[in-house]
Amino acid sequence: MDAPAPSEGVCFHEAAVVVPPDPGAVPGSAEARERTILHPCTLTLRERRVAVIGANGSGKSTLLRLINGLSRPSAGAVTVHGLDTVRDVHAVRRRVGFLFTDPLAQLIMPIVVEDVELSLKATHRERAARRQAALEALARFGLEHLAARSVYDLSGGERQLVALVSVLAAGQQVLVADEPTTLLDLRNTAKLRRVFEGLPQQVIYATHDLDFAAEADRVLVVDEGRIVFDGEARAAIDAYRRLALGGGT
Amino acid sequence: MRGHVYQLGLLIPGASPIHRAPLWLKYAALSALCITVLVERTAWIAAGALATTVLLFALAGRRVLALWPRPFRSLGWLFALLAAHQWWLNGFDTAVGVVGGMVACLQAARLVLLTTPQSELLDGLVRVARPLRWVRCDPETFALTIAVMLRSIPAVAGSIRDVSDAAAARGLRPNPALLAGPVVVATVDFAHRTGDALAARGVMDQSEFR
Repeated sequence: MDAPAPSEGVCFHEAAVVVPPDPGAVPGSAEARERTILHPCTLTLRERRVAVIGANGSGKSTLLRLINGLSRPSAGAVTVHGLDTVRDVHAVRRRVGFLFTDPLAQLIMPIVVEDVELSLKATHRERAARRQAALEALARFGLEHLAARSVYDLSGGERQLVALVSVLAAGQQVLVADEPTTLLDLRNTAKLRRVFEGLPQQVIYATHDLDFAAEADRVLVVDEGRIVFDGEARAAIDAYRRLALGGGT
Repeated sequence: MRGHVYQLGLLIPGASPIHRAPLWLKYAALSALCITVLVERTAWIAAGALATTVLLFALAGRRVLALWPRPFRSLGWLFALLAAHQWWLNGFDTAVGVVGGMVACLQAARLVLLTTPQSELLDGLVRVARPLRWVRCDPETFALTIAVMLRSIPAVAGSIRDVSDAAAARGLRPNPALLAGPVVVATVDFAHRTGDALAARGVMDQSEFR
């Protein structure tokens, strides 16, 4: 394996995701046919903030899941800093954190600090050192006061921030977030956006919040498994509006 | 899934002697209590064991003591049913001995959960499971499996409640046949999302036997 090179960014090389026909599906149904979730796409993402917008079911999540190795490309390849997301998946996941829409789905341990500790098991074998590192990670986000709280007692915004700390605790260099503000109210959405803005990591996120998308350096518009627009935020949002409301890109 | 909030025995932080006791001592005391009530199934032993758990809950602090009666809310009917069955078959003394002993064991186990961080419990489990390495089973993965299982129980209970509410909102009377399908689907979805979260965080990548 070559030494990882962050300058190479996140690269899609003719990457496509195709779901084969389900042999048990009802003949004539969508599942009985081969379905292309993501058509072959080639792009390199080096910008600090990249937003992905598009309708529900357009392929945004699939595109993001390829970056962390949660989904495998059926054809082509995806690399992160030169590491292949299939062949080097474990090394890729040490570099790429993934934030889900529902924070409760990704918080495994019942107490905040314990959940952060879970992410640090590989790097801190000794419990006291692991606890200290987890507390420091929470403190970096101003969340040290939540350390002893139950994850079930937190507000939605607090949960999402704790999930973010857990995801980035092990020093990931890229954050992939799949609609991180969808379940949040206005105040918590604004708070998370401020936190995102201050992150040193490259952040690639899918969102339906067009104001949030407008903060990105680059925006991809996805429609029916194809990247139909790739460019500067304002132009991309205009293209998406035309697409969603009729008139094409 | 709203059911996430229904917890079996979540840590109540504190600095009481029970909280500070080492894990091995908690397990030793728990084992001693369970063995005693299993071997000596008399009403007096069961009563003594129950009184001991009340005392230990009190020693763990007011917040922990307040949780002592909680299992009776959801499981009280089961205890009553078992006690009635035992009384009918074996008499009063055995009924109190068996059901009282069972409740004492449950309470003692809850006290361990309520006063010990889950990470400490898992570390203890990892130590106990070390011999599993001989059969190429990673103790860390074993402990994590237990943690995920514990997390799943309240989630499944919550999805049952969610589906019941959804049925009631549509004017349907909840029944097991109606609930089964949606609950299974919700549970499988929860399992998928948990798997995704574990994979995305690379938690399973740490196993030396992967």
